[in-house]
Amino acid sequence: MKMKKLATLLLAAAMLTTGFAGCKNSDSGSKDTEGGIKEFTAFYAVPGTEINDDNEIQAKIAEITGATCKETWLTGQTASEAIGTMIAGGEYPDFIDGSDGTAALYDAGALVALDEYLESGDYPNLTKFWSEAEWDKVRQDDGHIYWIPQFGNPYEKSMATDPAEAFWIQTRVLKWADYPKIETVDEYFKLLEDYNKANPTMEDGTENIPFTILCDDWRYFCLENPPQFLDGYPNDGSVIVDPDTKKIIDYNTTDTAKRYFQKLNEEYHKGIVDPESFTQSYDEYIAKLSTGRVLGMVDQKWQFQQVYDTIKQQGLSEEGCNFVPLGIRIDKDTPNQWQSEDAINVANGVGISVSCKDVEGALKFLNDLLSPEVRILRGWGIEGVDYEVGEDGVFTRTDEQWANVSNASYKASHMCPYSYMPNYTGVLEDGINASDPNQQPTEFYKSLPADVQECLSAYDCETYSEMCGPINPVPGPWFPMYSFSNTMTTSTPGGTAWTKMGEVKHEQLPKVVMSSDFEKGWSEYMAAYNECKPEDFLKEMQEELDRRIEEAAKHE
Amino acid sequence: MASTKKQVSKFTWKEFKKQKVLMIWAAVFVVYGLIFCYIPLFGWLMAFQDYKPRTGIFGSEFVGMEKFTQLFSDNTFLEVIRNTLAMGVINLVLTFVTAIAFAILLNEIRLTIGKKMVQTISYLPHFLSWIVVTGILHDVLASSGIVNELLMNFGIVDKSVNFFAHPEYFWWIVGISNVWKETGWNAIIYLAAITAIDPSLYEAAAIDGAGRWAKIKNIIIPGIMPTIMILLLINVGNVLNAGFEVQYLLGNGLVQSVSQTIDIYVLKWGISQNDYAIGTAAGIFKSLVSIVLIVVANQLAKRAGGERLF
Repeated sequence: MKMKKLATLLLAAAMLTTGFAGCKNSDSGSKDTEGGIKEFTAFYAVPGTEINDDNEIQAKIAEITGATCKETWLTGQTASEAIGTMIAGGEYPDFIDGSDGTAALYDAGALVALDEYLESGDYPNLTKFWSEAEWDKVRQDDGHIYWIPQFGNPYEKSMATDPAEAFWIQTRVLKWADYPKIETVDEYFKLLEDYNKANPTMEDGTENIPFTILCDDWRYFCLENPPQFLDGYPNDGSVIVDPDTKKIIDYNTTDTAKRYFQKLNEEYHKGIVDPESFTQSYDEYIAKLSTGRVLGMVDQKWQFQQVYDTIKQQGLSEEGCNFVPLGIRIDKDTPNQWQSEDAINVANGVGISVSCKDVEGALKFLNDLLSPEVRILRGWGIEGVDYEVGEDGVFTRTDEQWANVSNASYKASHMCPYSYMPNYTGVLEDGINASDPNQQPTEFYKSLPADVQECLSAYDCETYSEMCGPINPVPGPWFPMYSFSNTMTTSTPGGTAWTKMGEVKHEQLPKVVMSSDFEKGWSEYMAAYNECKPEDFLKEMQEELDRRIEEAAKHE
Repeated sequence: MASTKKQVSKFTWKEFKKQKVLMIWAAVFVVYGLIFCYIPLFGWLMAFQDYKPRTGIFGSEFVGMEKFTQLFSDNTFLEVIRNTLAMGVINLVLTFVTAIAFAILLNEIRLTIGKKMVQTISYLPHFLSWIVVTGILHDVLASSGIVNELLMNFGIVDKSVNFFAHPEYFWWIVGISNVWKETGWNAIIYLAAITAIDPSLYEAAAIDGAGRWAKIKNIIIPGIMPTIMILLLINVGNVLNAGFEVQYLLGNGLVQSVSQTIDIYVLKWGISQNDYAIGTAAGIFKSLVSIVLIVVANQLAKRAGGERLF
């Protein structure tokens, strides 16, 4: 009996130790390879494409910086799930961008405080990447900096060519109506109705879908957030901030919101709104747009960027199936604030995890990635291979080079943008060339599909951005407020209310749109909405707004 | 005294040696069970704490039953329990009845090649993962999918039905997809049980003038009754495992109030919202209910005098 027990125990102990040893071995951390090149690991909780291990530009950057980084991306999970799983396991890659899970990483003590390193002066490129006032905004309640926001930072001047969110419409619809000026929701839907009546099908006989709405999981902002823009406010994301009174306004309950959803309800019953809107997945939505059947939708361009490629491959550009943006509002005299200048998003950034064994090395790597020559490699590639330099110093790409960089396998084996590491937008250090080749003015227009070129010139515009409307200055130091609501968790009453509001909106807004009696549907929605105690959420948003204004005053 | 003790130990040792291989295998599974089933139970402590990953299980503050109170005052959780039970029961009844009926029908086919073919084809869907099955379901039930085409061609409906937009269809879509996926597979065990029935019984019944129906009623069903009872007992304990992938993948905002199961709730609150304590509490609740269900079912079986697990 004793022997049996002993044997079991021994075996158990043996298995346990091997188990633990296994954990140790899989510990992440930088390793030195033969050539003295450091290898880091990174995880970004956003969808992305991995590059090959023997990537050519990655090797070139490693020659300069002495380090490489193996990047992995989100697949099949939401950001919070992926980060939550990592926290539960307690092991992290060297670099991490938690996206929606960033606050959770901080709460779990998974990130290394970076402020002392940044203040040491050893990483000048990184330190000057943001101004002191901006760095202060990234400080957490314990006064330390844990992540480096990597986006929304133009070098010298903005070169943006694309709006983020807009009402999009196919060029064939505008062309059919002889390029009219479309400014309001009513005009937009009237045009869709008229066009669809005159041309119910595509050239090959496929029926048009006049308007569809992306509503899958967190992407349902395409359904719920237009009221803030329609009302003439910029993308604070979760609330409207009145710039005069400095008060928080809930955009879900405004008259504009009610009018907009009533409009959608009417259009739904007219058969203009796609009945599958609320049940389709993101993949189905992209597939639908790729067929060229969909005449219009609200979306952010990066979500359907790939549709331009598939439309091109199918030869649908000639039919006019590419999308252009319209900055429409609820009424003609409402200001157009669909686009704002770049602002720091303090809620997200790339951080260094406690599993990283060489924090100095990791920061040096980030610092070196911002050096002029590496910025060119990240954006443009190798001179003579991926771009040519003219006598005046202007970079250009030949058609063949453009074709190369839009080829997925070439991108994986050759290009290495390190796209979620800190980088400037705008121009390169030479002040002439755009940081991103797609924004190079001479190159941009050339790369547009023919139908978009025709449409843009009909409106006397050169970029999508111009067609959408003006790029407004940042309204105040609080902008954007979503960088606060994104970090809310259910540990506060406001965060709990925010989560519940999201759930109610996600379920009730589709019902409101489909309801046969709009008024009844709307009042049911409002009743369910008010049960979530939105006032708790709004109160915490107001406190944060006041805090941000106060903080900003210190730097003046 | 000492000698007896020695004798006992010597006896065990000898016995042990004789069964050395068996003992090693048994030990492997005991260790497996300990590591993967019992050691993790230690984590249940989280449900009684205001658990923070930063401080861990040893540093977090104990809050007693607070998390459970919070759980049961959340309407969503009550909805989630209802959904899980409803879908669990629908799945259990549908898959059970169809599998038994299918096995009996299949057994009645005289043509061996036809029987083998039907059997093979019918259990293939079992090997598809849910992500593939939900993809198929999305296509089949789409507004231009085959189901809507058929309904419209037969004039049953005049406008295509958006199946995933109606909360009242959701449970049945899940139930029927379970039937499609698992009937063939589940039927295998009943077919095996039917094969084990003594052929002389059929002959005797034939002499007494029994037809097919009488044979099914009086020989096959009583013959496979023990198998049915055991499987039923095991499955009752599994009712709360009504699924995760299928609801997670098929659900959308419109039907979320009927589509979410306890497992999805645990994922959402435990992992996504970082409230490990409430996720654990929900998990504990699920385990307790499952234990109660299995004990009750077992007692009922005992009363009825049939087969039982323990």
